[in-house]
Amino acid sequence: MVAEQTQVPEPSASSEPLLRVRDLTKIYESPGQRIVACEDVSFDVYPGEVLGIVGESGSGKSTVLQCLFQDVEATSGQAFLRSFEDGERSIFDADRRERRELRTHQMAMVYQNPRMGLNLMVTAGGNIAERLLAADWRRVDEIRDKASDYLSRTEVPVDRMDDFPAFFSGGMQQRVQIAKALANNPELVLLDELTTGLDVSVQAGVLDLVRDIQRIYGMTAVIVSHDLGVIRLLADRTLVMKDGHVVESGLTDQILEDPQHEYTQLLVNCVTN
Amino acid sequence: MASATTDRPSSSVRGLIAERGGDFSGYSFAFLDDMAKREIRRATLKAVAIPGHQVPFGSREMPIARGWGTGGLQLTLSLVGSEDRVKVIDQGDDASVNAVNLRRLVAQMTGAEETLDTAEATLIQTRHRIPEEVMRDDQILIFQVPIPEPLRFIERSVAVARGMHAEQDYSRMWLALYEDIVRRGEISAGAGYPVMVNSRFIMAPSPIPRWDIPKLNQADTLFLFGAGREKRIYAVPPHTDVRPLEFEDYAFKTEEFDGLACEVSGATDVYLVESPGENGTSRWTASDTNYADKVAAGIEVNKQW
Repeated sequence: MVAEQTQVPEPSASSEPLLRVRDLTKIYESPGQRIVACEDVSFDVYPGEVLGIVGESGSGKSTVLQCLFQDVEATSGQAFLRSFEDGERSIFDADRRERRELRTHQMAMVYQNPRMGLNLMVTAGGNIAERLLAADWRRVDEIRDKASDYLSRTEVPVDRMDDFPAFFSGGMQQRVQIAKALANNPELVLLDELTTGLDVSVQAGVLDLVRDIQRIYGMTAVIVSHDLGVIRLLADRTLVMKDGHVVESGLTDQILEDPQHEYTQLLVNCVTN
Repeated sequence: MASATTDRPSSSVRGLIAERGGDFSGYSFAFLDDMAKREIRRATLKAVAIPGHQVPFGSREMPIARGWGTGGLQLTLSLVGSEDRVKVIDQGDDASVNAVNLRRLVAQMTGAEETLDTAEATLIQTRHRIPEEVMRDDQILIFQVPIPEPLRFIERSVAVARGMHAEQDYSRMWLALYEDIVRRGEISAGAGYPVMVNSRFIMAPSPIPRWDIPKLNQADTLFLFGAGREKRIYAVPPHTDVRPLEFEDYAFKTEEFDGLACEVSGATDVYLVESPGENGTSRWTASDTNYADKVAAGIEVNKQW
């Protein structure tokens, strides 16, 4: 493959990568049609780091996340999570039980649309409880303490814990979704366009929240966005994707200040002008 | 033809057929043909081997409508022999129309003896109760089951629910119980409280009251469950752990009757049902009529399940 594309700068932390993705490819095939959503995507994520993936609609950035969270099955490629079989077996080879374990214990996903990540027929507290119950918590008072702890961390009024998120505003739903994702302390959090669809002031609040949580709890995350502002604010390193391929990668500041690839230059110019 | 004028008009299957000049010669022993019985027994063996797991079977057309105990009846007919003594319980009662009809059908198709006595019966088919009197290891209790899938109310897809059982993925069941506690302050399931069998499968115990749930745990008796409409057989073999789902701080509780006693027998510490009495009062009696009769007759009954 093209070496420059997969090469990533040395991380400041000296430890091993928490996640290694190699040659991730997803091809949607139907009779007479072959759509390459993403191809040969490789990257590492180090503990405590936030990796940004930026690109326009249809560039395959969300597909990468969906493959990692195994909402869709990768066509080929491998991904190694440090805590899964000591990072020696790809998470794509996990059986159904292991996959469920990965999705409820090791990883968490925050979707653009809270309806995807939340069960709106269950109370806000219940949504958080779901991950705790999956981890065999069996005391209601402890579950409720933990749930209210997470809700207050994400600035959701605790007295609304027993209300249904269906009646919450979009920003508050997104906060509940983040609280749910953080419950159980997942090793890796995947954030897919988490502020798209929120109005600007609410966006700022949610971004502040994620940044604070990241700083305080040392969350490791992969964040996908088409918004360079979000990437600039949150990501330590960034991949730029176009047409299913990684066209550039590096430190976020470097990419924004000194874009090398033609497409990245276009992208950065669109924002700064 | 003359029976309509006799003092006891025929209501039995045999009597009705005889009145019309027919007989039972065309029927197999115990109504079901041999291959059907073999298939049901095979499903039963598998069910016993995997406690709490629902085994599909080819539910047959029966001479009663689906939903009226066809699953239990098919189990009973696949097991009964002419030496058996058969009892049928309908909500604790031996004398309801449905219980009487089923008992007569089984007896007349096999020559088995009918009985109301829990201790005397070898096979007991039941709708929604476990007898108060302790059952032994030489007896079998057969439950009629309307909805065998405990996950039905949280997952509509049968395929997904089966996957959840296969992977022991029960967090959504626990979530439903948590939500119940949040909304009502307790787990509100009355009849058919979900149980964990052998630390592996969540099972619907059929709509028996909470009162009967502890009897399922480590019993000497084989419990078989038949759902005719849903075409499933499952089992709790003797000496199997059966635990109600509960949180450490919200423990499972059985019904309480606040010192009420059965008005027929005077028995206390028994599952009571309320019926309207004179002048708008209510009358509490033991749901298990055979137990009440025995206590009223001064017979000592072991009810330490």
